[in-house]
Amino acid sequence: MTAWVQTTIDGLLDGGSYAMVGLGLSLTFGSLRRLNLAYGATAMLAAYIGAWLHARAQAPIWLVVIAMVLSATVIGWYVERLCFAGTHENGSLPQAAPVAGTDGREVVALASSFAVWMQLEQLAVNLLPRHLNPFPSLAASSEWTLGELLIRPDRLLVMVLAAALTLGLAAWLERSRTGLAWRAAADHRTAAHLVGMPVARLQTLAFSAACALSGVAAFAVLSIDAQVTPMFGMWVLLKGLVAAMLGGLGSIRGVLWGGLLLGVVEAHAQTLLGAQGREFATYALLFVVLTGPWWRGDRAWSGGLRA
Amino acid sequence: MSDRIHSASAAASGVNGTLAQAMRDALCHLPGVGSAAGVHAVGLASDMAIMSLLALSAYLMLLVGRVSFGQQAFFGLGAYASGVMSAMFHAPLGLALAAGAAFGALCSWLIALPTLRLSGLHYAVATLAFGEMARVGLSAWHWQIPGEDGPVGPAGIDGFRDIRWLLENNVAPIEYLVLTLLVLLFVLGLLMQTERLRLGVGLRMIGQDDTLAAAQGIAVERVRLFAAAISGGLAALGGGLYAHRTTYIEPAVFDPMLGVHAVGYALLGGLGTAFGPLLGVALDLGLLDASRLLPGWRMVIFGGLVALFLRWRPRGLLDEALVHRLASHWRHLRSGRRTPSVSLPATRRTP
Amino acid sequence: MLEITDLATSYGKIEALKGVSLSAKAGEVTCLLGPNGAGKSTLMLTLAGILKPQRGSVTFEGEQLVGKTPAEIVARGMALVPENRLVFPALTVRENLAAGAYKRRDAAGIRDDIDAMFSRFPRLRERTAQLAGTLSGGEQQMLAVARALMSRPRLLLMDEPSVGLAPLVVAEIFTIIRQLHAEGVSIFLVEQNANMALKVAQHFYLMEQGRVSFSGTPGELADDDVIQRAYLGHKRGPSPDAAART
Repeated sequence: MTAWVQTTIDGLLDGGSYAMVGLGLSLTFGSLRRLNLAYGATAMLAAYIGAWLHARAQAPIWLVVIAMVLSATVIGWYVERLCFAGTHENGSLPQAAPVAGTDGREVVALASSFAVWMQLEQLAVNLLPRHLNPFPSLAASSEWTLGELLIRPDRLLVMVLAAALTLGLAAWLERSRTGLAWRAAADHRTAAHLVGMPVARLQTLAFSAACALSGVAAFAVLSIDAQVTPMFGMWVLLKGLVAAMLGGLGSIRGVLWGGLLLGVVEAHAQTLLGAQGREFATYALLFVVLTGPWWRGDRAWSGGLRA
Repeated sequence: MSDRIHSASAAASGVNGTLAQAMRDALCHLPGVGSAAGVHAVGLASDMAIMSLLALSAYLMLLVGRVSFGQQAFFGLGAYASGVMSAMFHAPLGLALAAGAAFGALCSWLIALPTLRLSGLHYAVATLAFGEMARVGLSAWHWQIPGEDGPVGPAGIDGFRDIRWLLENNVAPIEYLVLTLLVLLFVLGLLMQTERLRLGVGLRMIGQDDTLAAAQGIAVERVRLFAAAISGGLAALGGGLYAHRTTYIEPAVFDPMLGVHAVGYALLGGLGTAFGPLLGVALDLGLLDASRLLPGWRMVIFGGLVALFLRWRPRGLLDEALVHRLASHWRHLRSGRRTPSVSLPATRRTP
Repeated sequence: MLEITDLATSYGKIEALKGVSLSAKAGEVTCLLGPNGAGKSTLMLTLAGILKPQRGSVTFEGEQLVGKTPAEIVARGMALVPENRLVFPALTVRENLAAGAYKRRDAAGIRDDIDAMFSRFPRLRERTAQLAGTLSGGEQQMLAVARALMSRPRLLLMDEPSVGLAPLVVAEIFTIIRQLHAEGVSIFLVEQNANMALKVAQHFYLMEQGRVSFSGTPGELADDDVIQRAYLGHKRGPSPDAAART
């Protein structure tokens, strides 16, 4: 019984990382109804910049954090301008450049964000060509004990941070004027124009904020591992995508539950089926959630940004 | 020489070259054809033909309006299936390839049943999930039977070695290249022919607007399922060709990066014609080759160019508009007239 | 108040507005009639800044509006109640109203205005926390009008507010238009329902195939034979055939 609880706790703590990593992705998708394939690479390049500063310039940790968040934001701005900004004209009416096919523009954004993903990953690897690169470590040296249970305080901190960021962002979206504007612009572009919202600017801001969040998430996760590898980009994208999707793409609170659920399922799958079973379970869970009869495709696809 | 190729390309392609790296390994496994440059050219051409099949399978799904990030799974399943047939059951190459293709088609059809009703993005993620499930499944699959030089068969994460049908039957790389090209040509012919039939038009209609297509009497779901099956078969066929070319396959090669690349080639090359994906493959692999001068910057430049380019031509290079224009120019050239303009009958004269 | 001169807007190669000139006076209800496809909605969207015209000018209280973003146009006191309502379906009624007041910064004033909207539109008060996408057509129309009013516009543009609504609801809408007019809000109204429009508007334009083909008072509109038959469904006097036979 204790073992089961321990596994669940471990899963929840890992889930915090997943939620944090998925937060930016869900925000982007909710705001733009587009999947940003370059999301993981953005976090990775920011992480590599941080690692470089740490290893080559002996930068202190606070500087690494700031540099990562700033570079993620700047990179995000670049990605948005290049891949997503032009996919909507001012107003979504026939006067805008028509691309055949209902998903035409979404597919184009997908393709160009994929191209930028390749670009950013290679830039990162050029910066630090080795496979294993040291990263500033905030890992805990010991575990807390709670009766018979062991809890790693660093992972707990990440989970708490994830919850704080998620719930904080959700509350801000619900209560603030700008939060309302983000949600309105995501809900109906033309109507948002009509009430005077600067839609393009709002969406650029939301996108940049999402990437800044990815920088924070990257730091939090990597500071526990104390190293970063070229696989990080793909890891961020995949875990973030699963967490966001489980909670409903575009739902901010949903990312938290999705991440936690993913963590718990993975932890138990590992116990029962080993490392490969764990990996399999991640994707099987996603597949089942997506294709099951309970998937209310209409509601989920209506997209938009929901707190 | 092979070491230098390995390390240079490993540095150049970095993380996004798992398949490229494997292809480079393959270049060094097969016996040479005279000069090193000859080996290289033959190898590159074979790689491009094989990748084209995978890109065509992604293209077919794009035609019916679905972005699939899971085609690499059928590529891998086809590779393993045909490898099993030829290396473990000693089937001739043709049968092995056909069996692999059939298996891929079946798997694709089965997966399509629950997933095709999902909207674009959710479908893409579902296929991505399936792709990873297949890869992890293959990593856990052990099945070995005794062979001449030891056990033969899939060894989980260590892959499947000794798919040596080509070596055992003394097929030179250039002969294999010709075979691969013939297969590709055959597939292209089939696809181009389909475009002229009602089926081809129907496929494109479904991709543009499936509600409208249904209103025209097209059985949208069935045609989509059919397209999914064919695309799975194409990918698996490419996988079978790949397995025999490299003689060694491992699950790590069949990762999402491969599938996303396939979609990228189709989108970049253009969705107007089956030659589009080939163009995309040629551009990327050709550039990979040419830019050995600039190791480490290929993707930085190429990626940026692609993203810029897509803003200007969202349907790729050979998009439907261009294909239409080229086709009408071709028709007028053949009939000896220039592009006609609206004109009154020449015989009208004012009295 | 509003002067439109030779306005032309195209969709690609299709010219929807072929050089429209008209004006709306302050304090009046000006109505633009016309059949489907005449270009009325194109005109409204151009005025709101959603569409960019190829040529022409729009002056509002002396200021040129062509080239301004929709946000700037709302800031200058012109708000559009669009065709098809275009409410925010995933936001609540209250949030829709708050969104309408986006350009304003006076939180207390916004709150008061929301309460005022609920007084004017009691059915919305019953549904304040309901998602706007789940409202009926008539309720969405009320919401769209209320949302536009939240920005305290000096000129309210209304694009076919009565289309698709039951007659009782249509009557409610036009009552509200009359109320707003009485309160001093200038209204530029696009309508197909000429009969109702005759009861509220002070000046009429008729638009056909991208051009203005008639300008006049309600009396002149009612007197015109062609318009009578085409848009008002009346026949005045004996038909030409009957006259020829006698």
